[in-house]
Amino acid sequence: MGTPQPFVIYPARRVITINPAFPFGEAVAVAGDRILGVGSTDELASWGEHRIDDCFADHVIMPGFIEAHCHVMSGGLWNSTYVGYFDRRDPQGLLWPGCTSIDDVLERLAKAAADMTDDSQTLLAWGLDPIYFPGERLVARHLDTVIGDRPTLVLHASGHLATINSALMDRCGIDETATSPGVARGGDGLPNGELHEPAGMMLAGEAFADMMKANRSEQARWRYANEARNAGHTLLTDLGTTQLWDPEQLGNWKKVTSDPTYPARVMVAMSNLFGATADPAELAELCVQLKSEQTDKLRFGIVKLILDGSIQGFTARISWPHYYKPPPGHIGNGMWLTAPDQMADLVEPYHRAGLTVHCHCNGDEATEAFVEAVEQVLERYPRWDHRHTVQHCQLTTPDQYRRMAALGMCANIFSNHIYYWGDQHRDVTVGPERAARMDACGTALASGVSFSIHSDSPITPLGHLHTAWCAVNRVTASGQVLGPDERIGVPDALRAITIEAARQIKMDAEIGSIEAGKLADFAVLEDDPLSVDPMALRDIGVWGTVLGGVLQPAQISKL
Amino acid sequence: MSPPRLPVTVVGGYLGAGKTTLVNHVLRSSEERIAVIVNDFGEISIDEDLIVAADSDKLTLANGCICCTLADGFAAALMQIRSAGTLPQRLLIEASGVADPAQIAAYGHTPGLRLDAVVVMADAEQVRRQANDRWVADTVRMQLAAADLLVVNKIDLLEDADKADELCDWLAGLAADATVVRASRAAVPIDVLLGPRSASDAANARERPAREGAAAPGWHAVEDLFESQTVVLDAPVPMPVIEALLASLSDAVARLKGLVQAAPAAGASDTTAREAADATAYLIEAVGKRTSMTPHATDPTQPPSRWAISLIARKGALPPDWLAARLHPDC
Repeated sequence: MGTPQPFVIYPARRVITINPAFPFGEAVAVAGDRILGVGSTDELASWGEHRIDDCFADHVIMPGFIEAHCHVMSGGLWNSTYVGYFDRRDPQGLLWPGCTSIDDVLERLAKAAADMTDDSQTLLAWGLDPIYFPGERLVARHLDTVIGDRPTLVLHASGHLATINSALMDRCGIDETATSPGVARGGDGLPNGELHEPAGMMLAGEAFADMMKANRSEQARWRYANEARNAGHTLLTDLGTTQLWDPEQLGNWKKVTSDPTYPARVMVAMSNLFGATADPAELAELCVQLKSEQTDKLRFGIVKLILDGSIQGFTARISWPHYYKPPPGHIGNGMWLTAPDQMADLVEPYHRAGLTVHCHCNGDEATEAFVEAVEQVLERYPRWDHRHTVQHCQLTTPDQYRRMAALGMCANIFSNHIYYWGDQHRDVTVGPERAARMDACGTALASGVSFSIHSDSPITPLGHLHTAWCAVNRVTASGQVLGPDERIGVPDALRAITIEAARQIKMDAEIGSIEAGKLADFAVLEDDPLSVDPMALRDIGVWGTVLGGVLQPAQISKL
Repeated sequence: MSPPRLPVTVVGGYLGAGKTTLVNHVLRSSEERIAVIVNDFGEISIDEDLIVAADSDKLTLANGCICCTLADGFAAALMQIRSAGTLPQRLLIEASGVADPAQIAAYGHTPGLRLDAVVVMADAEQVRRQANDRWVADTVRMQLAAADLLVVNKIDLLEDADKADELCDWLAGLAADATVVRASRAAVPIDVLLGPRSASDAANARERPAREGAAAPGWHAVEDLFESQTVVLDAPVPMPVIEALLASLSDAVARLKGLVQAAPAAGASDTTAREAADATAYLIEAVGKRTSMTPHATDPTQPPSRWAISLIARKGALPPDWLAARLHPDC
């Protein structure tokens, strides 16, 4: 078989291959959607007829970043107004400055309301994080002052609370006679517009449903991938958001990914989180079926399970001594979302079907339950190279990492937490010692556990340069270093966001490094992550990506 | 007047305690039209003979109502149930094996609904081990503490009566607000689970004639372990007397339900002379330590309601005139 003709050579400032046998090159050659080779321009030219494209001559080329844990909501939520505390770039490339005071939030909402043309439409917003506004609470009264009669719902960053205005309270019939414990009350004893947990939030059911419905659309899927491209990502894992048995949601995935201009590959996990009627054996069968129909851009084969809640929500399962300073009335530990003694039976059908199980474990007790379940299942049905992965893996202990290494399990570590909630973890949730060993990339590395790092977008913004920055520097939002001994070097962080992420979704034969024969998926950077000050890692500009040989410049999108 | 609120029964308890068995038992034994919401993953295990049709997202039950899941949230489930054609008379929510039933019970405060009871199942053989398990001890104890009715299921599997007594005493300590009910195969008398039918009859006198003998004085057996009595009221009852009655219920009382006219004045002798129109009608209910008084809408175009209170208690726990004595403290 001859060389595909003609091919393109992209000389670069440097090509970082993440292939230890050939770590750097001066140029990369692309034939069709694949990498023909890495090396000097002369070496590559010797393959035959070619064209040299100098567009990346000043750029650094890396394997495209791979996000192994995020959610398609990060596309859908942008239908609503962002009011989070931190600066955030939307999928169109526009920077939304963080709202760092309640006044900022109100100003943002007032502007959004003023821009709306349809008077009957509800104003929806997301990302409010009251943890950063101690002492004052955004309530209906505030919203009424700036928005007036337009029904308004503001979803909190935690996803467990929402604040609505009086107009929406009226529409939903929430008044002083409300008996639901999910309806919060102010000092005057009247509902203040805050709705807690599903039992409270369901009272604003329609507005909330509108917000969630957006996640099923084609537009959400486009925005999801546009955001990826703008941040240098070429593959996103939608980990447990899509109901794959719903023809609309699956159909929209097929539709967008079959468009040659769609700017990302997507791994869509099978999930039973939101599908209460599903039987694991049937889901395993469906997943195997989908895997047989997968394309280069739409992949299947992994399964998402969930054991516990979140650390900052005090719902993660944490071993004794549990939480450091939980809120008054807290029961002491978090909650199980799946019974731990049921895990082995739940993992088994997926394990036997040859699928990889990714389980949400924020607390160490959850990790313990999952590792034990995998141990039991492996005793029943030995299987090599399963790569079952502990997701979030935030409080996993050194002994657990040793067991994971022995069992062939992987870790996907939620490094972004160190920056976004590290101060709260040290001061409130788990205390200084355990906060210092959270998100322990150093221990994972030393234990020989294959690990990746993630954003869990939309929980924190997508962007692997930032996520790598967190793992390398462990600097919190207040500027303090949290657990310096768990820091890893930049080279290890770059492996974590490329080849190791590919490995835990079993795509490392195709993507994750720049090597002859692999798919031509690149992150194209304005500077060299191995040369800059590690504290400047997250500031490196992203030109865009190359996806299957197609140039995908970061841009203001067509949407 | 707004329509009566739909009573909600929450069924909780750890895996294997018999929640699904109880749900099937209720669907099989109750005359009410009951819609079911399940919160658990895995198959819905409603017995086949109770199902007439199965869709991808719901089951149609033999009683005409549906069984659906919380997959898309409670609001969506409620909408599914309300659009299913046959309007239910009760909502039964089966919590997942690790859920806090108290949290699920919060849904019972949705407008149009009212929380009737939290029924928590415990496996007589396993519950001690589970309540001390390294991982789920706190979960199981939290579930038990949320109970209004704590059903100690599979009690027949215990070796002797002493063991059963000891277990029930221990559980009563963990479920301070609950009435402990012993059962095998989740066969709890339906009146204990859902409230006395005789008082429902009283409340709905215009729809259904009272059952023969339901109001005869003294105790009437309710299956093997319980007995019931009904007192018919021919005059309004002073509010303090009602309040004192509700406050005096011991854990021997599984259920109380009544439709009463509450007189604002304190003296009983006073009240008998009063016109009924001055009194306010209330539906009073108690299950475990949960008591409620809800103003009851009377429809002037319909025949007058029948005023009565029914009580279900553990057999032999209370004297025959217990209820009457509390309603006529001066006699």
